[in-house]
Amino acid sequence: MKIETTLAGSYPKLPTEPGDVNLRVTKNRRDQGKATDQDVLEAVRETTRRILKIQERAGVDIPVDGSAAWDDAQTYVARGIGGFQIEGLIRYLDTNTYYRQPAIVGRIQWERPVTVEDWKLAQSMSERPVKAFLPGPYSLHHFSRDRHYKSPAEALADLGQALAQEAQALEEAGARWIHFEEPWLGKAKSQDAALVKAALEPVLEGRKARVVIHVPFGAPTAVWDSLGELPWSVIGLDLREAPEGWDLIPRVPKGRAVALGLIEARNTRLEDAAEVAREVARARALRSDLEFQLSTTASLEYLPADKAEAKVARLAEAARIASRNGG
Amino acid sequence: MPRGLWTTTVGSFPKPPRLEKARHQHARGELKADALEAMEREETVEVIRRQERIGLDIVVDGELYRGDMTTYFAERMPGFAISNPVRSYGNRYYRKPIAVGPIRRKKALTVDWWKFAQAQTSKPVKGMLTGPYTMMDWAFNEHYPSREAMAMDLAEAINEEALALQEAGAKYIQIDEPAVSVRPEELPLAVKALARAAQGLKAKTITHICYGDFDVIYPALLDLPVDQIDLEMANSGYDLLERFRKHPFTKEIGYGVLDVHSHRIETKEEIKEGLRRGLEVLRPEQIYVDPDCGLKTRTVDEAFAKLEVMVEAVREIRAEKGIDV
Repeated sequence: MKIETTLAGSYPKLPTEPGDVNLRVTKNRRDQGKATDQDVLEAVRETTRRILKIQERAGVDIPVDGSAAWDDAQTYVARGIGGFQIEGLIRYLDTNTYYRQPAIVGRIQWERPVTVEDWKLAQSMSERPVKAFLPGPYSLHHFSRDRHYKSPAEALADLGQALAQEAQALEEAGARWIHFEEPWLGKAKSQDAALVKAALEPVLEGRKARVVIHVPFGAPTAVWDSLGELPWSVIGLDLREAPEGWDLIPRVPKGRAVALGLIEARNTRLEDAAEVAREVARARALRSDLEFQLSTTASLEYLPADKAEAKVARLAEAARIASRNGG
Repeated sequence: MPRGLWTTTVGSFPKPPRLEKARHQHARGELKADALEAMEREETVEVIRRQERIGLDIVVDGELYRGDMTTYFAERMPGFAISNPVRSYGNRYYRKPIAVGPIRRKKALTVDWWKFAQAQTSKPVKGMLTGPYTMMDWAFNEHYPSREAMAMDLAEAINEEALALQEAGAKYIQIDEPAVSVRPEELPLAVKALARAAQGLKAKTITHICYGDFDVIYPALLDLPVDQIDLEMANSGYDLLERFRKHPFTKEIGYGVLDVHSHRIETKEEIKEGLRRGLEVLRPEQIYVDPDCGLKTRTVDEAFAKLEVMVEAVREIRAEKGIDV
């Protein structure tokens, strides 16, 4: 059985070839008054095209657009949803990267599509189904400062609804894959199960697209029973930072799929493709009835562009070996 | 009369625009290293003068010659390579260290700058180092079999540098560990590595850590083997004080009263109120007043305006509470 490949999250924006459009330089030039907003938009477009081409060249089956226009993984979407305002920079979990903290200052309401045009543009550049990328409601709430709601449950219900509407708009535009990034599920405790359900139920109910719940940096062990009751299509596991995720594979409900996060997105050391293929076989031995994808553990944006490109190639190579070996 | 409420800073100061420009020129090969260093020295003298004029009790060199707080050290240590740029946020990038072999200290990393800074002032200048746990956590690792192995090699190298700073005359040595607060399960490793890094030091030892999950790491945080722990207090609305009521803070504290992420200059009254609240649960002689974190992300004017208000607020609280310097 063929093991499909995909990436989790965003991708480095910088070019590795001299002469390629450099989004960083264009933005700096814009800030100095030497380039326009239109130039930046064009650079975002070209960067997206390059990110898709890298994945296409390697043979990635379900590519991502790389979130070229995003400053961080939270605010691009939060800025477009009513009820949020964007505040100061804070560290993103235990990474040495930052995000601007969204603050909830009013009722959370979806007002317009935020990511749909970006997705359509990316899809127009690829023959393969481009996976749409959204912050997960449970984690976006954790990353935010809530000054409006009386309880997390109320906030999560509205946030779940808002992101469900964004997912619906993506579906209507033709998205077949929607990825929700949920790092906080790996930190949730068993008593958080009801909140996890309240957050994710609205974004998962009635979806036509295949929905991935990806959990980087941890394993959602403590809330697994509740998570299993929800109608997601694929669970993304970070099996490098959280090897305890292996214990969840036997407990995945029938008919679902697992994205095996085996290509480490937070370290430059390149994996051995044959070794990764053996790990895929290990997953197959645990559950021969499940569909498996091979994925990065998290966003490749934690790496420099040259190393990220090497990881994409290694990901595809490992999947080819795994597929040859019978999946 | 009790003594206390000494004023200081966490370490970094903003680079003046002309120095930023010179660093870019140097990176593009348009300015020689000597010329850049000459400018760095001029600006370091200026930063020290301004700290003296404001009346800070313990000063720093401002780290104007450093880029990222880990990369500066990694560039000078065998065993590290430096990556191509990695994004930290938006359009900001930095080059991240990669451990590619055994990490060693082959030469002084900061001692010459410390000596230069101390020669400019009669006030004590803090020696400023990045701690082994943070150096490990914020680097890629292509060499070591475990995070602990890498952290402990770094601890040994940093210990050599700390002892060299002490030998040069440093009375205060700060070994920053901002990464400690975000992986509570690794606090024992951070403690072990910092103990090795601070081994044999008679100077006052300090570590700065950033805000994190204090429900999990406090009071275990007090196991960090240093005299003083420097904390972000203002950024979290001084909510750590409630924890100190339950579990007394037993070490000296670097008591952050300035939000370094905000352009707004704090009012004297809000800083005084923060200090009064602190004095309800801490003794004056435990407290060193400073900003929440390094000031390098502020403009030069913002940084010094914040510090001026801080020092004035401290003077008034000292008078109000009868605290001597």
